[in-house]
Amino acid sequence: MAQCVQSVQEFVQDSFVPMVAVLCSEEAERVTRKNNLNFAELLRPFCRLTSEGHIRDPSNQLQVVKNLRICVNNLVTSPTTTSTSLSPAQRQLLSDVVSSCQPQESAVTNVVMAGDYELNFSVTTPWFEAYRENFLQSMPASDHEFLNHYLACLLVVSSTEAVPVEQFLKLSQEQHRIQHSGEYTNPKWFIPNTLKYYVLLHDMCEGDEQRADVVYEDMKQKYGSQGCYLLKMNSRTFSANVDEQIPDPWSQYLHKNNLHNQVNIANSSTCTGCFKYSCNNYSLEGHPLQLDSSMANLHNLSAVHTDLKKGAKDSNSPACAAGSHGACLTLNDHDYIRQFIQEFTFRGLLPHIEKTIRQLNDQLVSRKGLSRSLFTATKKWFGGGKAPEKSISEPKSTCGLLYPPEAPELQIRKMADLCLLVQHYDLAYSCYHTAKKDFLSDQAMLYAAGALEMAAVSAFLQGGASRPYPAHYMDTAIQTYRDVCKNMVLAERCALLSAEILKSQGKYSEAATLLIKMTSEDSDLRSALLLEQAAHCFINMRNPMVRKFAFHMILSGHRFSKAGQRRHALRCYCQAMQVYKERGWSLAEDHINFTIGRQSFTLRQPEEAVTAFRQILINDSRQTAKQQGAFLREYLYVYKSVLGGNEVSLPQLPLPCIHSSATRVYFGHERRLAEGEKQAATHVSLDQEFDQDLSAMWCHLEEQLVASANGGVVPVNFQPTQCCLNSQTDNLRHPLAVVEEPIIVEVTFRNPLKVSLALSSLSLLWRFTVDGSSSSKEMTEETITNEETSAVGVGNMNKYALRNCDLFSPFRNHMDFLLFTDQQTLDLMVRGKQDLNILGPRLNLTKEDKMSVRHGPDRRLNPIITAPMPLMEVFFLQFPTALLCGEIRKAYVEFCNVSGVALCGLRVVSTHAAFFTFGSQATTPLSPTSAENCSPYKTVATPLQRASEATESLVSADDFRQPSGVIEIPIDGSILQPGQSTQLPLWLRGPDQEGVHEINFLFYYESAEKGLKISHRVLRHTVFICASRSLSIQASACRSSVPPHHCLDEKGSSGTLVFIDVENINTNEGGVREFHIVQVSSSSQHWRLHKYINPNKDKECKLGSRERAKLCFRAIFSEHEFHSSESQGSVPTENRSSDLTDIAKECSELDLNIIVIWKAYVVEDNKQLILEGQLHVALQTIGKEATSLTAKEVPQEMVLLKFKSDLPPPVILPSAEFCQLIKTNLHYPETCTHPFVQESLCLVPVTLTLSNCSLAQVDVIIDLRHKSSSPESLEVHSSFAWVGQSQYKLQLKPKEVLCLTLQACFLQAGVYNLNTPRVFAKPSEQSIMCETSQQTATPALIVISNA
Amino acid sequence: MNTNMAVCIAVIAKENYPLYIRSVPTQNELKFHYTVHTSLDVVEEKISAVGKALGDQRELYLGLLYPTEDYKMFRKLHNSFTDVMCNPFHNPGDTIQSKAFDGIVSGMMVQTA
Repeated sequence: MAQCVQSVQEFVQDSFVPMVAVLCSEEAERVTRKNNLNFAELLRPFCRLTSEGHIRDPSNQLQVVKNLRICVNNLVTSPTTTSTSLSPAQRQLLSDVVSSCQPQESAVTNVVMAGDYELNFSVTTPWFEAYRENFLQSMPASDHEFLNHYLACLLVVSSTEAVPVEQFLKLSQEQHRIQHSGEYTNPKWFIPNTLKYYVLLHDMCEGDEQRADVVYEDMKQKYGSQGCYLLKMNSRTFSANVDEQIPDPWSQYLHKNNLHNQVNIANSSTCTGCFKYSCNNYSLEGHPLQLDSSMANLHNLSAVHTDLKKGAKDSNSPACAAGSHGACLTLNDHDYIRQFIQEFTFRGLLPHIEKTIRQLNDQLVSRKGLSRSLFTATKKWFGGGKAPEKSISEPKSTCGLLYPPEAPELQIRKMADLCLLVQHYDLAYSCYHTAKKDFLSDQAMLYAAGALEMAAVSAFLQGGASRPYPAHYMDTAIQTYRDVCKNMVLAERCALLSAEILKSQGKYSEAATLLIKMTSEDSDLRSALLLEQAAHCFINMRNPMVRKFAFHMILSGHRFSKAGQRRHALRCYCQAMQVYKERGWSLAEDHINFTIGRQSFTLRQPEEAVTAFRQILINDSRQTAKQQGAFLREYLYVYKSVLGGNEVSLPQLPLPCIHSSATRVYFGHERRLAEGEKQAATHVSLDQEFDQDLSAMWCHLEEQLVASANGGVVPVNFQPTQCCLNSQTDNLRHPLAVVEEPIIVEVTFRNPLKVSLALSSLSLLWRFTVDGSSSSKEMTEETITNEETSAVGVGNMNKYALRNCDLFSPFRNHMDFLLFTDQQTLDLMVRGKQDLNILGPRLNLTKEDKMSVRHGPDRRLNPIITAPMPLMEVFFLQFPTALLCGEIRKAYVEFCNVSGVALCGLRVVSTHAAFFTFGSQATTPLSPTSAENCSPYKTVATPLQRASEATESLVSADDFRQPSGVIEIPIDGSILQPGQSTQLPLWLRGPDQEGVHEINFLFYYESAEKGLKISHRVLRHTVFICASRSLSIQASACRSSVPPHHCLDEKGSSGTLVFIDVENINTNEGGVREFHIVQVSSSSQHWRLHKYINPNKDKECKLGSRERAKLCFRAIFSEHEFHSSESQGSVPTENRSSDLTDIAKECSELDLNIIVIWKAYVVEDNKQLILEGQLHVALQTIGKEATSLTAKEVPQEMVLLKFKSDLPPPVILPSAEFCQLIKTNLHYPETCTHPFVQESLCLVPVTLTLSNCSLAQVDVIIDLRHKSSSPESLEVHSSFAWVGQSQYKLQLKPKEVLCLTLQACFLQAGVYNLNTPRVFAKPSEQSIMCETSQQTATPALIVISNA
Repeated sequence: MNTNMAVCIAVIAKENYPLYIRSVPTQNELKFHYTVHTSLDVVEEKISAVGKALGDQRELYLGLLYPTEDYKMFRKLHNSFTDVMCNPFHNPGDTIQSKAFDGIVSGMMVQTA
């Protein structure tokens, strides 16, 4: 239960006060009306007595009456009898009271902390107090209790009356008639002889004061000085006192009534029955409900009524102007009135009550002879009691028996009530207690309940420890009222009192239970208020029950809305929302939000409604699709009505959800795919997904370019160009956008609902800030969407690219983007916007970052617009997609400067530097069209030579030099003017490896002007080339065995044989007919191909499918290089041994590149094409085979963990270098015819030439014996024998050539391998005697034929 | 005849948000949510009472909030809940999305028609 302004004692005490009726003469009424008040109203602010009164109880004890309040009402007669429920009119009044009492906007709200809940609400509920006050005052007087029966009647007559005394008489008769004629059941009177108090009203401005005094003297004579009073008032005139500030004590008592009247008047036009309520302006205490049928005491009613009606029509009428009460009263007059009340109470009312109590007490005492129980017992025995008969005869008694008004059982109750009114609670309690017992024994349930209730009240008011508060009395009373008597009004009163008392005792739980029990279907307003109070009880408990509070607030809100109290309903829901908010109770939350939205909307607070509905849509909804659809429709409807005509400032839309981090921003034009046969550079597009590796690769390429442009150094402030920004790119810097180039923003939406949303006319809003000045404009760029209307399906993720075109100012600007959408669902369409706010990545560096959630900046959408930059487009012509490995193809590349700024410094870098080269315009001036069959090779006319002789041409080394992968593109003048374009031939060579190759080009260019914000720009291009197999070339070199002096055409002592195996490995048999080997060249600084050794000479080498050819060349050391080699010979001998190994290594080193140029005859579409190409083989070492196909790298398998130690390293074999210290050569006749018939042995002389290739002295051992273990020894018959000395030991000086003559002996005809002598050699300076075999593997065959 | 007849089963985090909530007559879901939420006050009251009386003696079953509950049912539910919590991939505090748990709960619910 909420906190109240009044204390509990005050409240309970004020609920039961002595009632005083007022009867006014017409003239007196007129006098008081001057103050815009009637007499009862006039007295009301002064009805609380400030001084203490005294009363003597029946035992003559003096009782103090403190802080007494009396209630003065105009006497209004009404035919209505006691009812068990409120009349509709009463309900209406209460409803108005409640709805007029709203919490102020600025009202103090208290923060209640309960657990982890923080609730913010007003702890006072003034509407409830107002309701309670009005409810208690509008309680109909009933027969079972006397508390609101009139104790006295004030008869008021004006001194201006012709004969005031007559008027008094008339009023007195009137009162008597009302009380005793039996015509009226209402109002009710406490006792038959009501106290009549005669008041003479004197208007100081009008009447003759002396006359009034005379009349008053007369009255004193007649009624006694205790029974009459002269009240002087209206000491000033209405007009004279405008400027004086006199407090208006009436306003707080009357403004509510006025309000009611206005409400009623407003209603009267529609509701014919309502007009009568307006009389409550004159009947006091908001009793408009007691409709009067008698005009006796209200002759002026109709006049006033019409007056009011007039007032209603003319609101300027001063009579209706609020706040002008008591205009004719001075502060002295206020004091007069106060004195009058005091006089009346202390001299008239209290003695009257005292007297009545005494009388009642005497009556009771006189009957005390009989004990109460005996009394009832006798009644039962004799059956003489009238009560049982009554209960039979009165069929309407629903709650036991009804007593007649003067029944003796009621006298004690009457006395108890009186005692209660004059604060003699002790006596009151005992009387109530006695009465209760009587009533219970008579089964008079209504009476018993009343007595119980009041016994509890008086026990409470008694205070102190004398008697514990009997809470169960109240419970029983409520139950009886409600269940037995079906009197909800009384039950409610009892509950209100009881709850308030329980609350004061801290029994919130009980109070809540009590209040909740009182809710019922018959009155929504009451239920709402009581539920709200129950909710307050829950929150006020020692352990606050927050959730119960919230739940009951919701129930209360529901009842409020049923009762038409929208504002209160909204307030309740809002308070409950604080508990449910953001705690995962989504269904409940949605329900509350929906209700808040509805209520707010009907209360014309559409902004709040929109916010509430928005919440429903934003939250991850658990609702069904149908429900979501309804919510959405409601939201759109409200939203639309909020917008109205105001489309200037667009509100935020909750839907669809924007995945702001997925936003991609693209700077630049959308790329053109192709223009005719031209193929544009792929560059970057939004279609590509971001790839970390790729972007690193591009960055690396760009670094190379920038380094080459800056003389090999990458500037410190180098930042890779980012064309397309997304969540993975580095967005810390403001991106740079170029003026007049578009910016494309891709936004990702998600529809969280289960119903589809239709979006249309999406456009991008942006704000542009000119650097230096603070002016910022917001502009809309009409933008293009992909579709006119696009539906975001259920749970779909859709992406839209929005184009924002052409920025015009070449200054530094900041841009913020907003999304601007229309939302449409069926017939409802709204416009709104959504902000694009991108949170940067979460920071995780400092401790603060780790402890809290912090995000770095993300400047994707805040580009800086810079001065115009050149913009280049690159097109490729005749660019192949498939090539044979090593094929040379010509393509053209076109560079276009499409901007207004000249560009220069054009460079390109590629991941496959060997893939392409630029031909200059000068060397190949052919246009692409005429280049159909143009060969990449120049045919040079050579003087006719022997075919076996090779031509030589020296190419300057500069032509080969490529410092890095960066190629400067040779364009004319190196500057591309605006609008200019240039075309260059591009030579492509198919990659050596078969398969699909991704080749990336990065073009670099910069503005001709220097010092711009953007130093350079780049353009990416990616091609995919499918390389198919062509030829496989394997080459090996071996030492020629010919000793230098045997060489006929001497050019150098040393020569190398180069063997080239060419195999056609092309698999496309249909396409490629055959390959022709056109030319074999060597590209080496030291070696040149000297002689073509081919068995079938002069024939062109053709290779069909899967054919293989072997080519053999002699390469010789070129001359001038030989000299340098000779100069090596003067190396001091001291070093010899140390770098012997190196020398030996050097000997076998060979730096020979073989270039094989081929032609392929290809049939394609029944047309024969000749493709040309070249393959390269790099021969590094003698004896090692090299192939054109670099061995495919077998992906390194993961090395398994080894726990065993590796095998011990194998025995070190003599290093291979020593194997070739000595060159051996066998000279013998190739064929030998010998008549074996005549002579069985054939002796053939063989010369073994040993030449020392090294620069060291070498010891040589020659062993001619066959190896015993050799497998050849099995075939002894086929072998031959060396005759003569079988072992030689020799020493060879550096570069010495030695000939040994040997003799071989053959036994029969056949082909023999003479290469059997084993030659061991070791440098003589080497101490170790490890000699190495110098055997050459080549067979030396001799044919022995029988003659 | 199914002896376990619950209409609504909820698992609530100690911060008062639902980890799991399911009710059988789906048309009355909102009502059940409100009821469950409001009954948390009673639970809280009981917990504080238990805490005072028994100290650290952990009895997880609070007894009957209203005499319509079945201890066995609670134990079953609690075991299943423990299983969910033991799942290393379950993030404590997240709502429960476990098929097994769902199955257990379904078994306890009223079989409608």
